[in-house]
Amino acid sequence: MIGKKSMIYVAATAAILASAGVAQAKTVCYVTAADSHAYATPANVALQERADELGIEILNLSQDFDVQKGTEQLNTCVARGVDGIILWPLDPQAYIPGLARAQQSNIPSILINSPMAEQANQFIKSFTGPDVYEEGEMAADALSTAMDGKGSVVIIAGQAGNGTTIGRVGGFVDRLKEVNSDIEVLDTVNADFDQQKALVVSRDLITRFGDKIMGVYANDDTMARGFIDAWKEANPSEPTPPIVGINGQKDAFESIRSGEMYATIVQSPVEDGKLAINTMAEILDGKEVDSRLPIPLTVVTMENVNSVEPAF
Amino acid sequence: MRQTIAIVLQYRVAIILALTLTVSGLIVPGYLSETTLSLGLDRAAAIGLIATGLTVLLIAGQIDLSGGAIFALAGIVSTILQPSLGILPAALVGVFVGGLCGAINGGLVVGLKVNSLVLTLATMLIFRAVAHWITNSQPVTGTDIMFSLTMAQIYLDIFSIRSALFIVCIILLHLWLTRTIAGRNVFAVGSNATAAEESGVAAGRVVFFGFIFAGSLAGVAGVLQSLVTNTGSPVFGSELTVAVIAAVVVGGTRLEGGRGSALGTLGGVLTMAALTMAMEFQSVPAYLQQVVSGLILILLVVLDRTVHTRGRAAGAIPLLVTQNPITTGGKP
Amino acid sequence: MSEIASELDSESSNERFARGSRLVDLLSKTGLSLAILAVILYGSFSSPAFFTTGNFLNILTSMSIIGIVVVGMTFVLVVGGLADLSVPATIACGAILSLGLQPVIGPVPAFVVAVALSGLIGSVNGVLVGYLGVNPIIATLGIGTIALGIVQAAVGGVIVYGANPESAEFVKGRLFGIPVVVLIFLAVAVIGHFILARSFWGRWTLATGGNYSAAEASAVPVKAVKAGAFVITAVAAGISGGLLGLTLQSARPLIGQGYEFSAITAVVVGGVSIMGGFGSVPRAIAGLIFVQLLTNVMVLDGVRTPIQGFVLGILIAGAVGMDSALRKRGVA
Repeated sequence: MIGKKSMIYVAATAAILASAGVAQAKTVCYVTAADSHAYATPANVALQERADELGIEILNLSQDFDVQKGTEQLNTCVARGVDGIILWPLDPQAYIPGLARAQQSNIPSILINSPMAEQANQFIKSFTGPDVYEEGEMAADALSTAMDGKGSVVIIAGQAGNGTTIGRVGGFVDRLKEVNSDIEVLDTVNADFDQQKALVVSRDLITRFGDKIMGVYANDDTMARGFIDAWKEANPSEPTPPIVGINGQKDAFESIRSGEMYATIVQSPVEDGKLAINTMAEILDGKEVDSRLPIPLTVVTMENVNSVEPAF
Repeated sequence: MRQTIAIVLQYRVAIILALTLTVSGLIVPGYLSETTLSLGLDRAAAIGLIATGLTVLLIAGQIDLSGGAIFALAGIVSTILQPSLGILPAALVGVFVGGLCGAINGGLVVGLKVNSLVLTLATMLIFRAVAHWITNSQPVTGTDIMFSLTMAQIYLDIFSIRSALFIVCIILLHLWLTRTIAGRNVFAVGSNATAAEESGVAAGRVVFFGFIFAGSLAGVAGVLQSLVTNTGSPVFGSELTVAVIAAVVVGGTRLEGGRGSALGTLGGVLTMAALTMAMEFQSVPAYLQQVVSGLILILLVVLDRTVHTRGRAAGAIPLLVTQNPITTGGKP
Repeated sequence: MSEIASELDSESSNERFARGSRLVDLLSKTGLSLAILAVILYGSFSSPAFFTTGNFLNILTSMSIIGIVVVGMTFVLVVGGLADLSVPATIACGAILSLGLQPVIGPVPAFVVAVALSGLIGSVNGVLVGYLGVNPIIATLGIGTIALGIVQAAVGGVIVYGANPESAEFVKGRLFGIPVVVLIFLAVAVIGHFILARSFWGRWTLATGGNYSAAEASAVPVKAVKAGAFVITAVAAGISGGLLGLTLQSARPLIGQGYEFSAITAVVVGGVSIMGGFGSVPRAIAGLIFVQLLTNVMVLDGVRTPIQGFVLGILIAGAVGMDSALRKRGVA
């Protein structure tokens, strides 16, 4: 399949050379978190579609959730001499030298979806997307409301060491501390954003804590689903404790309607993808952009579940 | 004719590398530029350093699955100690930790006389758990980002510090394996440890030091990665092991022991890096990249089999588990 | 003594396995039972939630999916095939196809096709390992990568969701108070045990793993037997993947990540030797039960997830160390 693509490429290059001096198609390197993922896939698709509309060519590189691979892919982007880089960081620091190298080569970079540490700011033009830390805070507020500010909860976290996990757990825990909440975190377990792993750890959590689980915070809706399934297995007749997830998937909306879940936070991958490429397009046109461009985050509960669109 | 085929097969890694570079150079614009090559080389360095260590182990008839975990652990240690020791001493301690992990692997494999595949699977879990434990699963940050930027610099238009180190290591290893008695003993141990013992080679010691060497190089790679990224993370290197084994095997080194070469590994690492780079340049989806690298791996191994195994029972149990007293546990 | 280690002498080697296995059998069987008992005792004291029907049912349900793979993996280890690292790919193949094909051909045919195609992946592994003599690690690593890539390409690299709630309800439901997945696991285990312990195929498998040349000399179709072990594992992983997909109602390509190592861990902890020629399905399942109980106790005691790897690693190292020690005793 290299052959076929490259033929197109050769043709395209020829066309570009022929029209030297005339405005040529810009190429943007998009280092995404993964190809196949509930959230990343629709974001990638949206970004690609919007880029097609804008006439920007996308060089799509998938890190497959491996930070190291991502840091190396930044090298590819620089070597390829692209016009801009959109990076989905999975670590707050590790990409900085790569971004610095891009800057040396006069390639503007922006971050999509997740923030990086402050030191990275001088190397990026903007950070677009949801703030995972803020999501953690919003989840804490939602769960506090559901539980009247007291009781004990379990946290089902994503992959240990992953940037999104760190932000979403950190925001949640810090927020509880900040408001001097009487909510106690019984335990935080990692289920790697995986439904099956969440199912297994939830079974164990339910056995271990039983009635002490008065609330659940899952780092995403997939894992919230895992907890609900485990709860139904163990206590078919009892209602679930209030569960808060993140992402705003369709099945989470259904769970909220049926009362199995208390809330989710909608962050639209489509908006996420579009905003990033739109911002990059503006940068390529020589416009100034804000250093922080958020996408709207909406807390969805029983009250507004019918008026909000699910994210995917 | 037959001779031509034999030559082609003998230098198959070099040929495939040359083919990859030529084809990519023709169809991918800007592929054969200095920037691409230097950055491609830099990117190959982490895998390459671990692969250098693994080459020795595979030749000695052993395997190490824990390289990726050692990579992470050494990086973390070198980053955590930066404030108290300074960057360079901390880096040395990181490498030392890598060697220590290797010594643990080697000590257990030789001392308990167990199969290295299963044992290093165990230590992989253990080292990774330690990495999570000391960092509380959070990435740790180094003290000086400017140092990282210097480390990532390309010198003489082609080498970064780590890619230069990789090339130096692999050439030294090549000389050691081919020019010294100790080096040749590694091959002897790998092809038949019992016979090697009988002719006076301390097989256990060779294997033990092989593990230390592999661990130290994984440590070097991990420390350099942490210096370059100013980060030590417990999730670093989780996908490395497979890529490293593939690169070494593509380079013609055998998992069964007794055969392999450092230059082959260099070829294997560069081939894999060149391929990845070319496919990324063309925005080939990751899953199709996997298919291509998988096919190359299988193709080269099957080629290797058909060339070298005439006369040997095709299904014979690999030496890794039968004739090696270190793995079978039966000392003569 | 020395001729045993130095040469693949059929007579002495067979005797070694026959004589050794009785002692090894007794020691490690009682050893594992004692260990399981100890964990149960400890668990009962440390957590009131441990010794309850609900918890045991939960452990049983949780181990069923991986348990099916363990049954297959036992064959690979016994036949001397080291390990099947393509399990994540075959699980993904089973899960993605059994959900993806539902709207096209209905849930039951989809499941059957998914398992059959997984078996096909296994037969490619089998041909490479059994007939072409490629090292199993490399063969299954390469084929796994390729298969996973193709499956991803087939569904466009995205996540597949279920379209048939009835089939999900059936898999998640209970029959006579026992979860359906547990029943399927038990059925697979019984069939696997029957094949390995009571059938001619099992005898061939043990003979091939115990002494390849001797088995070949006594007219065992060694190549087919070796290849068969990989087909069995792939079919088991396909079933496991299909069930996983149906339970979750969604499947992504990385769904089977880590299952290969979990399965190997269980089999090795069960005392099945990675050298081949010895082992049984009940042993492997006992190993799995032990690992699952221990994990359960750790979770109930609040041990952090990444740290659990530490204990697992020590467990594997201990198990292979013991295997090697007992084996030596058996030979003496």
